[in-house]
Amino acid sequence: MKKRWLTLIAMLFMLSIFVVACSNGDDENGNGNENETDNNNGETEETEGSSDDVEQILKVAADQDPSGLDPHTSTASSSHRIMGKIYEGLITLDENMEFAPRLAADWDIVDETTYVFQLRDDVVFHNGREMTADDVKYSFERILDPETGAIGSSNLSLIEEINVLGDYEVEIKLSQPFAPFLSYLASGANYAIVPKEVVEEHGDLNQNPVGTGPFVFSEMVPDTHVILTKNEDYYLDGQPYLDELHYLTMVDESSRIAAIRTGEVDLTTVTPDSVSLLEGNDELNIISYDDLEYYYLGFNATHEALSDKRVRQAISLAVDREEIIDLVMAGEAKLSGPIPESLGNWSIDVSNHELYQPDIDRAQELLEEAGFGSGFEMQMGVPSTEAALVSAAQLIQQHLELIGIDAEIVQLEWGEYIDAWNSNTYDSLVGKNGPGRDPDRSLNFFFSTTGSANVWEYSNPEFDEIVAEGLVEVDEEKRHEIYTRAQELIIEESPNLFLLMPKSYIVVRGNVDGYNPLPHDSENFRETTIK
Amino acid sequence: MYKYVIRRVFYTIPVIFGISIVVFVIMNVIPGDITSIILGTEGTPELREQLRENLGLNLPLYQQYWNWISGVVVGDFGESLRTGAPILPEILSRFGLTLELTLLASLIAWVIGIPFGIIAAIYRNTKTDIGLRIVSLFGVSVPNFALATIIILVLSLGFNYFPPVGYTSLFEDPLMNLERLFIPALILGVSMAGSIMRMTRSSSLEVLEQDYVRTARAKGIKEKVVIFRHAFRNALIPVLTMIGMQIGFLLGGTVIVEQIFSLPGLGQYILTGIMQRDLPVVQGSILFVAVIFVTINLLVDILYAYLNPRISYD
Repeated sequence: MKKRWLTLIAMLFMLSIFVVACSNGDDENGNGNENETDNNNGETEETEGSSDDVEQILKVAADQDPSGLDPHTSTASSSHRIMGKIYEGLITLDENMEFAPRLAADWDIVDETTYVFQLRDDVVFHNGREMTADDVKYSFERILDPETGAIGSSNLSLIEEINVLGDYEVEIKLSQPFAPFLSYLASGANYAIVPKEVVEEHGDLNQNPVGTGPFVFSEMVPDTHVILTKNEDYYLDGQPYLDELHYLTMVDESSRIAAIRTGEVDLTTVTPDSVSLLEGNDELNIISYDDLEYYYLGFNATHEALSDKRVRQAISLAVDREEIIDLVMAGEAKLSGPIPESLGNWSIDVSNHELYQPDIDRAQELLEEAGFGSGFEMQMGVPSTEAALVSAAQLIQQHLELIGIDAEIVQLEWGEYIDAWNSNTYDSLVGKNGPGRDPDRSLNFFFSTTGSANVWEYSNPEFDEIVAEGLVEVDEEKRHEIYTRAQELIIEESPNLFLLMPKSYIVVRGNVDGYNPLPHDSENFRETTIK
Repeated sequence: MYKYVIRRVFYTIPVIFGISIVVFVIMNVIPGDITSIILGTEGTPELREQLRENLGLNLPLYQQYWNWISGVVVGDFGESLRTGAPILPEILSRFGLTLELTLLASLIAWVIGIPFGIIAAIYRNTKTDIGLRIVSLFGVSVPNFALATIIILVLSLGFNYFPPVGYTSLFEDPLMNLERLFIPALILGVSMAGSIMRMTRSSSLEVLEQDYVRTARAKGIKEKVVIFRHAFRNALIPVLTMIGMQIGFLLGGTVIVEQIFSLPGLGQYILTGIMQRDLPVVQGSILFVAVIFVTINLLVDILYAYLNPRISYD
């Protein structure tokens, strides 16, 4: 009998050896990475003279792990918030949404189809090599190469020629005038300049990101953290002020809230629902900004009833947007058209628009005119992962009941939702859209007959004509006029109902200084410090 | 004995292949594919097609399965479609964490569950027994995510404490590692302890009624010896079955606690893989868990025989 117990102990012992073996692998990884960070620490210590005794490390809670850090192919917002620190494009947008220099110190629009960029001569990649005009040519060619599968390829497809005119001068010729060109170049990491040798060495930049930005990639441990360190050779004097930037993956919102309370992290985004939990805490500042997106109810244009403009207008009159704002967004959101106010002065004021004033009688009349006076049934798909959208859908369902429309809500898991969106298999969908950085992207992309995000199969020749005009018109004032007309028409036609522009909330600890989120640049840490 | 083990090992092969095929089919049948999820609302049809080609998803299904399984057999689990990171090292390091969490939780569960189960059986129908049974009912019925959220709230609001973020390996910094894992393990352990206690109690009661226990007592053996040498070993058999199943369950089922405490465990990896339709990640991890599950069941079967020589191997 003693022997049996001995064997049992022996077996437990073997099991623990297995644990040791498994954890050892982990340990090696950990050690390897540690050496790397140690080196970086060594570097930062040398130059630390300027900063005070406070450790200049900003810890950010991230709700999702980044999925790959190749700027040309990664689309996830969790990747973009990190790529935005590592990579840079030729130009950027300032706080007024005007173009501002970045890697290009200056640029000339020679004629409607020719752009010449003068590059800075003091930029080096994180691997120590100087950035020149050849890298610009390479990067755009990589985006245009269909094999890359780059997300920006269709927006640059009008590029005909890229000519290197000197070490720091590059000329881009388009095959036809394309007004949004600069807007796309200014819209972040998807159009970043990358070093050829790193791409060729590793095949892509997903696991080995190298750029020109203020922060250098240091290590990434899946589902744990991403660590970025200060770019000591950054060309803007003194920037960034932080020595390290840590993104800690914390999937659960209640742990993010607990962590910001106890100071385990310095900054986190929170949902509007959680804001009230943190209000009144002296150590925390709650910052809100208008989101660069809007909520919508989109209609399948091939649906018998919904293909009728009068039915869509009736729905627009039945849906009480103010009530959605009050009940779902706690009053903290604004009405929106196809271009939300956060995109700057392109947007038109919709608050007095006839179709935004709830009017059940008028809605009923319109339905009768269209021959659907007795109502109809429709499905309404909504992504189950977005609580606010689900609540909005439930309110819309109640509003539609008032005019006899029986809407059945179908909650779809994210992957299913994207599939439904792509294939137009639902009668209607509640969702949110980002309008991009340019009105062409906000209108043409979603509603023109050939628009690549016109999943609704909506078609209106008049609208197509207007947005085609806007695409080639380079004069700012005339473009404004064109897109004002386009917005008015699309609200009148209501292929989608534009509901509201939500707010985003960021909670930072009181010791974080010099941080000011903008709708198009919500995480600019260039001048952030820890007090 | 060896024959028995070898035969059992062979039996597991079709089981594991079956699981790999079922997972492969399910992942391909559920709506939404990785290209949709990567591209979201930004993708054009051409881009989607190009991405499918780059990821090797345009091949016929049987060929995709063959490419994957022929790699797995020689230990190549492939790379994540989403991040390009190799899968096997990721599974192993995450399994290390999940296994540590599981063992720690089990240890806590045994230390609490088994002694109290025996105490409840010895003092059956007294206040002690009733009290213990009520507490154990609490352990069984409160879901661990609720317990975890409450504990986080209480710690952060009441004590301004939050467990350190990120995972530190046991060999790098044992104290930090334990601080990191202790609360999650306690939560999982308490949930398990309830059912272990109840099982120990009822099987001990059954054994204590047996004739041989009465005989032992009649011989004048001390009560301590009766309970620990004669009754306890036999009472433990059904408990052992349950422990085996619980460990198997925990290895794949700690995901909620992992999420709440931001631990990079295996459950978290599988869940993210499923949400993002990262086929090789899901297949590789589930296959790995299946192998572990089958192995643990095998070990438990063998342990039975050690504890009860009457079970034969034939």
